[in-house]
Amino acid sequence: MKYNIKFLLLLVISFTICSASMAAGGGNGHLKDYFGKVTINLKNKPSLQRGAKYFVNYCLSCHPAQHSRYKRVADDLGISEELTIKHMIFTGQKFGDLMTVSMKREDAKAWFLGIDPPDLSTHVRAITPQAVYEFMMSFYIDDSRPFGVNNLKKQNTAMPHVLADMQGLQKAVFHKEVHDGVEEEKFDKFETIRSGSLSEEEYKQVVTDIVNFLAYLSEPAQLVRKNIGIGVLFFLALLGSVSYFLKKNYWKDVH
Amino acid sequence: MSTESQGLLGWIDARFPLSKMWREHLSEYYAPKNFNFWYFFGSLALLVLVIQILTGIFLTMHYKPDAELAFASVEHIMRDVNWGWLMRYMHSTGASFFFIVVYLHMFRGLMYGSFKNPRELIWLIGMFIYVTLMAEAFMGYLLPWGNMSYWGAQVIINLFNTIPFIGEAVSEWIRGDFVISDATLNRFFALHVAAVPLALLLLVVCHILALHEVGSNNPDGVEIKKNKGPDGIPVDGIPFHPYYTVKDIFGAVVFIAIFSFVVFFVPEMGGYFLEHANFDPANALNTPDHIAPIWYFTPFYTVLRAIPDPFGGFMAMGLSIIVLFFLPWIDRNPIKSIRYRSLLFKINLILFAITFVILGFLGLNPVTLLYQQLALRFTEVYFIFFFVLWAYSEPRSRKFWIGSFAIILGAITFYDLFMNSSDEPILIWQTWVIPAGYLFITLLLPFLTNWDREKEVPDRVTS
Repeated sequence: MKYNIKFLLLLVISFTICSASMAAGGGNGHLKDYFGKVTINLKNKPSLQRGAKYFVNYCLSCHPAQHSRYKRVADDLGISEELTIKHMIFTGQKFGDLMTVSMKREDAKAWFLGIDPPDLSTHVRAITPQAVYEFMMSFYIDDSRPFGVNNLKKQNTAMPHVLADMQGLQKAVFHKEVHDGVEEEKFDKFETIRSGSLSEEEYKQVVTDIVNFLAYLSEPAQLVRKNIGIGVLFFLALLGSVSYFLKKNYWKDVH
Repeated sequence: MSTESQGLLGWIDARFPLSKMWREHLSEYYAPKNFNFWYFFGSLALLVLVIQILTGIFLTMHYKPDAELAFASVEHIMRDVNWGWLMRYMHSTGASFFFIVVYLHMFRGLMYGSFKNPRELIWLIGMFIYVTLMAEAFMGYLLPWGNMSYWGAQVIINLFNTIPFIGEAVSEWIRGDFVISDATLNRFFALHVAAVPLALLLLVVCHILALHEVGSNNPDGVEIKKNKGPDGIPVDGIPFHPYYTVKDIFGAVVFIAIFSFVVFFVPEMGGYFLEHANFDPANALNTPDHIAPIWYFTPFYTVLRAIPDPFGGFMAMGLSIIVLFFLPWIDRNPIKSIRYRSLLFKINLILFAITFVILGFLGLNPVTLLYQQLALRFTEVYFIFFFVLWAYSEPRSRKFWIGSFAIILGAITFYDLFMNSSDEPILIWQTWVIPAGYLFITLLLPFLTNWDREKEVPDRVTS
């Protein structure tokens, strides 16, 4: 009978795992295939520092990171207070202030087709770093859009291609496919129209650095929590064995 | 043994039954000696309750129940408050673990017949705890004021709209506004941190008092109090303290290790414990692509969605929870433990567990044509399970089995012929096999095989 119950438990658990993995699949994978998977490595301090530099220069003028403080970023990334104030704070704010933008939200909405640029200290966690990576890689020329560019990851995005100087401009090549009588445009590839100041590999690295920094910014506790977790589990393993033998000792007379 | 205590303890005992309570509930509370793995979950549920209350208190020190500030205050806790992220992750992980532990605890009750005479009231109080816990979890989920908090609450509160005549008024009364707003957030905060936890604590005390009044059941389903030694102590009983305290300490450490693994390494649990869309603040103009309740509600959510009529779905969902209250009067078989019940009872219980998990899986996913039919089929199995449980209470005639098989399958088929519609009708008949197969196994095999044979219950616990 004992085996029956264990078998039952095993069955339920394995079923749960199967359904969970089934549920985890899906999504449009074609840009992931095209650009590859972004490597998030929070131990790579130089990458995080470069990402922070690009972030304050290119993103923070419109996107706030209003839940994060300059000081926290500087402390976590090993940037001095002096350097931070000199090179990272362009709004006259103090070292301990939140990373807000001075642009009024109403202005932002008016300029960006009614869209308020999302806060990047949490939004990345909602959409995953990989999505940001694919988004930043896949701007292409589209004259029908107000800023002259469209985006394959997020069609008709209100965001201009702020890194165009680095990446240059590319066009997206599509071919037409008919599915159930409906004509659809399928993406083939990007073709460079105008080169930027960086090579393709260098640009990929810039975007990777930014995404790496955003991954950190979305949850700064990541820098410490796994290390603490290892210590906690080690302690619990010790406590577990002590309590196991304690139990065994108490129970040796129970038959 | 002298019960008169001296010194400070004596002074207290003359004024408060401290030693008496210690003896009655711990050192001289005799529990069966054969508790197995499944008996850890009661004390673990208590442990999670303590974790939730303690971490919750720290969270309230920094959280702001204000629609303008709530989301930012949670991020403030995650970033600026020392160890705030730990408190928050322990609380969010604790919510999910609470339900894992409670579901296993309830399943233990189902396996060993722990709800049967004389423990009906323990089960009833336990069910009230479960429903209260659902309310607590639902209201807590609104507090981070993320976009999924907002839209999840929107969907659930709108369910009350389906009640004829008074529906709109009821949901307006719950929200305190025409839409989910600051007023809703504020009252959910009050209920989540004060009213409901007080009710929970009271119910938990009642649950334990009722248990200690009649004594614990065990994996053999044998009443240990019926077999007392000359000293009046049950022969198969051992004092809860120290035997089960040391055992439960070991269980608690293993549990905390698993819990810590999630807290420190995978606090989002792939979006199941903390849903991704909840990292965007509540936005009434931006509906998430797919609104799914948090996983522990999804089996009942599937029952809701399985019925096309909104009010019908609401009623079915309510019924799927209410029916659990009546378990002591549904399963009337005098044999308590699964060990001595028939093979068919075991199969029925396994199928029910699988059904519950599948219902949960379906509730996490968007409705497709296939999932829509599967939801209906497993909802049917969910409810028929209770009929089968009742049917297995006593020996039945061949006429009974064939008759009930024909009536239930007939009713399902009638529904499929005239009321069940799908854009792919073939799916209706393909999935029809699920309830039909379930009915065949549970209602026809009792007389086609000897799988309904039950075993002799021993006089004493076996191991």
